[in-house]
Amino acid sequence: MTVMASPEPSHRAMEEAAEWYALLRTGDASAADQQKWKQWLARDDAHQQAWRYVERVGRRFAPLQASPDRDAAVAAFHQTVSAAPRRRRQVLLGLAGGLGLSWLGWTGWRQTPLSALASLWGTDYRAGVGETPQVALPDGTTVWIKALSGFNLAYSDTQRRLELVAGEILVDTGKDPLRPFVVDTAEGRLQALGTRFSVSHGDAGILVAVYDGAVRVTPAGAGASAVVPTGRQVRFTADALQPLMPADPARESWRNGLLLADGTPLADVVAELRRYHAGHLGVSPQVGQLRVFGSYPLDDANRALDMLASVLPIRLSRALPWWVSIEPRLKSD
Amino acid sequence: MSASPGLSQDFEHLYGNHHHWLLAWVNWRLGNAADAADLAHDAFVRLLTRPCHFENPQQARAYLRKMANGMCVDLWRRRSLEQAWLEALAAQPEPTAASAEQQAMVLEALGEIDAMLRELPPKVAHAFVMAVACDMTDNEVAATLNVSSRMVRKYVAQAMLCCMKLEARLTAGLADAPPVPVSPTAAAVPPKP
Repeated sequence: MTVMASPEPSHRAMEEAAEWYALLRTGDASAADQQKWKQWLARDDAHQQAWRYVERVGRRFAPLQASPDRDAAVAAFHQTVSAAPRRRRQVLLGLAGGLGLSWLGWTGWRQTPLSALASLWGTDYRAGVGETPQVALPDGTTVWIKALSGFNLAYSDTQRRLELVAGEILVDTGKDPLRPFVVDTAEGRLQALGTRFSVSHGDAGILVAVYDGAVRVTPAGAGASAVVPTGRQVRFTADALQPLMPADPARESWRNGLLLADGTPLADVVAELRRYHAGHLGVSPQVGQLRVFGSYPLDDANRALDMLASVLPIRLSRALPWWVSIEPRLKSD
Repeated sequence: MSASPGLSQDFEHLYGNHHHWLLAWVNWRLGNAADAADLAHDAFVRLLTRPCHFENPQQARAYLRKMANGMCVDLWRRRSLEQAWLEALAAQPEPTAASAEQQAMVLEALGEIDAMLRELPPKVAHAFVMAVACDMTDNEVAATLNVSSRMVRKYVAQAMLCCMKLEARLTAGLADAPPVPVSPTAAAVPPKP
C-alpha cells in the first residue's frame, strides 16, 4: 500500500488537539483559553487538520447523543467492556503478531520447551497454557486437546486422519463404517476400532490408553502391530512396542479438569501443572521426589498448589503473582 | 493497487485449497455453521481486496487463521454488545420511543465506538464515553469512576488521541489491513512429520 489520501498531522499536533478538546468540551475553559485555542488553530495548517480529526471522532458519537435511549446504550457499552473475557485462547496465537499478548502469556511461553512450542506453530487445532478445548468434528468425533498440545486434521473421502503434532489428545470417535479413523504420530499409526482413547507424545515415545473399544497400533519402523483392548495402555516408539499395562485413569481425567496422582513424584505433578499456570512454576530438587496422592484441580493451578502445600512438607514462595517456587518447608514454618 | 493477471489464479488456488479447512476451523471457534460460513467468506473477500503472496500452504493457513481469529473476536464482541444493549433497553422503565431504524443506528455507532476504544484501559474508555456521549462534566465522570477530575481530563485527551490516530489511519486506507504480516518465525516452522 503506497497511496495515502493525505499525510497524517504530526503526533505533536494530534496530541495538542486532543488536549484542547479535553479542556474546551467541559465549558470550564475561560475566555482566555478559547482565545489561545483560536490562535493555536490559526498558527498551522497541521493544527486545523488535526482538529478535523477531533470533529470526525465527535461525529461518531452523534447517533448516541441524539438517542432517547442514550443511557441504555452507555450502560450496554460499560457492561461489554467490563465483562470482556480475558483472551486466554490467544495466549498462543499472540506470538504470531501481538494479538493480545500479555506479559503473563509470554512468561508462560518461556517456561515451556521451545521444541514443543515450535511444533505447535502450524497446527490446525491447538491448546494454549491452561486450556483443554474440545473439538467437535463433522463425523461426530470429539477430540479434547490437552494444554500445550495440538493436532492437524486431514479428513478425506476414504479415511479420517488426524496427526498428533505435540502433547496429548483424547479422542471419542464418531461412527463412519466407510472411512476408517486413524491417528498418525511421529512413531507410528493408530487405527481406532470404534472407540475412546488418548494419545500422548512424550519423551519416552507415544502412550496410547484405551477406555472403550480397541486401537490397533502400528509402529513406524517395526512390522508387527498390536491391538490394545479396553482398559489397557501401551507405550511404543518407531522400533519397539512395550508390554500392555492397565490404562492409567489420569490420562482421561484432564478432560474434566482433574489431575489424578497415585504416588506420582512432585516434580512430575508440577510439570503437569505448568501447562495450566501462566507464569514461572519452579520446584526445588530437594522436594521433587516427594510422592503425591489425590486429585487436584487443573483449572485452578494456584488452588492445586495450595492443596499440595497442605499435605506435603513444602512451602510456596510467591515472589510475584505469576512467580511461584516450591521449596522444602522450614522448621520455623 | 492494480490487479495483476496472476492474481485471480492465485486466489482460486488459495480458495480451492483452504476454504474447506478454514470453514471447519471457524466452525470450531464459533460453534455455529451459519456464522462460520459468513465469516470464512468474508475472510476470503478481504484476501481478495488485499492480495497476499504465500510461499507455501502452511504460511497461507497461518495467515488465514490469524485473520479469521481476529474476525471471530470482533464478532463475539459485537454479539455481546448487542445482547447487552437489548437487555439494557428491556430494563428501562418506559418502553423505548425510538424506531427500529434509530435503534439499529445506535447499535452501529456503539460498535464503532467500542472498536475504536478497544485498545484503551477500561477506565479510560468508560470516562471518554460518559464524557462525550452523555456530555457529563469532568466532575461528574470523576465521581462515577472514583478518580480525580484532573485524571478525567487526562483520560479524555488520551482516548481522543487514540481515536484520532485511528481516524487518520482509516483515512489513509490502512486501518482495516490485517494487523501484521505473518512473522518469519511462523513461516520457518518445518513441515510436520
